[in-house]
Amino acid sequence: MSDTAISIRNITQRYGAADESSAVLALDDVSLDIKKGEFLCLLGPSGCGKSTLLNIVGGLFKPTSGTCLVNGRPVDGEPHPDKVAFVFQESTLFPWYTIIENFRIALKFQGIAQAEWDDRAMRALKAVGMASFAGHYPEQLSVGMRQRVNMARGICVETDILLMDEPFAALDEQTRMVLGEDLSQLLAATGKTIVFVTHSLAEAVFLSDRIVVMSARPGRIKTIINVNEPHPRSPDFMLEPRFSELRNECYALLRDEIRAAMAAQRDPQPQNAGA
Amino acid sequence: MSDLAAPMKTSAPLSGVLAKALLSPFWLRVALLAVVLALLEFYGRVYADPAFMSPPSLIVKAFFTKIAPQEKILEALWFCVAQISAAYALSVVFGVLIGLAIGATAFSRTAFLPIILLLFAIPQVALLPLVILLFGLGPAAKIAFGFSHGVFPIIMNVVAGMRDVKELHLRAARSMGASRMETIRHIILPHAVPSLFTGLRLGMTMTLLGVILAELYVSTGGIGYYTRVFAESYDPAPLFALTGCLAIIAVTFNELVRIAQNHLTPGKRRSPTLKIPVKE
Repeated sequence: MSDTAISIRNITQRYGAADESSAVLALDDVSLDIKKGEFLCLLGPSGCGKSTLLNIVGGLFKPTSGTCLVNGRPVDGEPHPDKVAFVFQESTLFPWYTIIENFRIALKFQGIAQAEWDDRAMRALKAVGMASFAGHYPEQLSVGMRQRVNMARGICVETDILLMDEPFAALDEQTRMVLGEDLSQLLAATGKTIVFVTHSLAEAVFLSDRIVVMSARPGRIKTIINVNEPHPRSPDFMLEPRFSELRNECYALLRDEIRAAMAAQRDPQPQNAGA
Repeated sequence: MSDLAAPMKTSAPLSGVLAKALLSPFWLRVALLAVVLALLEFYGRVYADPAFMSPPSLIVKAFFTKIAPQEKILEALWFCVAQISAAYALSVVFGVLIGLAIGATAFSRTAFLPIILLLFAIPQVALLPLVILLFGLGPAAKIAFGFSHGVFPIIMNVVAGMRDVKELHLRAARSMGASRMETIRHIILPHAVPSLFTGLRLGMTMTLLGVILAELYVSTGGIGYYTRVFAESYDPAPLFALTGCLAIIAVTFNELVRIAQNHLTPGKRRSPTLKIPVKE
């Protein structure tokens, strides 16, 4: 028990009433244990409920049924900012505040004493190499720089658990690889538990200890893939044959699900038509 | 022409000063205005009936001979400025307060916004005689009419600004543990500021319109009165000079709001210049 940071038990999430034809079953009886200090990726086709699951763990959504325990305490649709921090896409930085003000407001919301704000903010900014931009507004920075800052904002609140909801989705591939390396470096030292939602196969393999591959809607856990590679990971890991093998394995698992997800979004097809 | 890379080289024969003038937006604008004024001057002096049209030079002259020396007209102009200020102040105070109240929750927005949209859609000019009957011939009617024009765009833009707050920002704030009040104070209100200023600028224009419309409709000694006197005595030069004064008042008010916008919008304040170190 003490080894488990997050325990997801039989979570089902339905949007709309059960008897309605428009009701959508986003998550179907999902159970998962996440160990302390583990980096876990949720990988799956669009609309498979990855983000929904993350939001349930973070207490932003209340599941239709099932429970989620964080450090043994149930999350009941209420955020626990002292234990869990979120990192969303870079556009989550509040554009009306400067970088340092963005940190102060996050720390204020979290209830940290004012005396600590600037100290913590600058420490986190230094860790991502963005300390000299503290006085800038987000729109003055490039997208990659903004995401660096945004990650630092998630780190400065110093929670044990970090939930990352497609943080690199808006970035180009090169930038996301570089930021992924930095993230691996940064987090190896802290021992945080991280749940990371992504669409990118390479990102999932490069960063995770375990990859949870999810099925198309309704979201279920299809397979869990272990990546046995110590942190922090060097870019050389990407060149190893094992990296591409794992990546291909994920893709093979996902391909059918992506086809299924896309078929559900299209007109009904005749049974024998080659899809 | 086909060579897009070198259009500058081919225009070399154009003498340096002229080329520079035509390539700078500011001087091009000045040149266009100068041409229009010159054409008006020419038309006004050579062809136009002096009972209806006056060349720009005579309008300027009329300002100094017929407007500026007449204390009563200057007083009327100041009075007009005072009415606009009063009507605008009322519009801002009530517009922002009502806007905040309606925009505070999705429920109040759904309940009350249609009423505002309906009222805003009514062509108020049709009600001007009623406003005069209600508020009399004095400044109260002008202020009321300016207020009823100015208040709606402000309400609508405050509500729109509060409504358009990003879902991701709200979710981020909630995940950080922000209370409802903190969310309003630090997320929803700052997000609504640019929209608020759009409303304030629109409200300014509409307030001016309302006050001046009421002035022209009925006035016993204000700008509207003098406008009618000049128009009915077929004396266009001072009439245009007076109209020019109103235009200057309008532009000044709009500029004041614009300057306030540039200084008060968070994220657009004087911010440090960007220095991106050579990296990556």
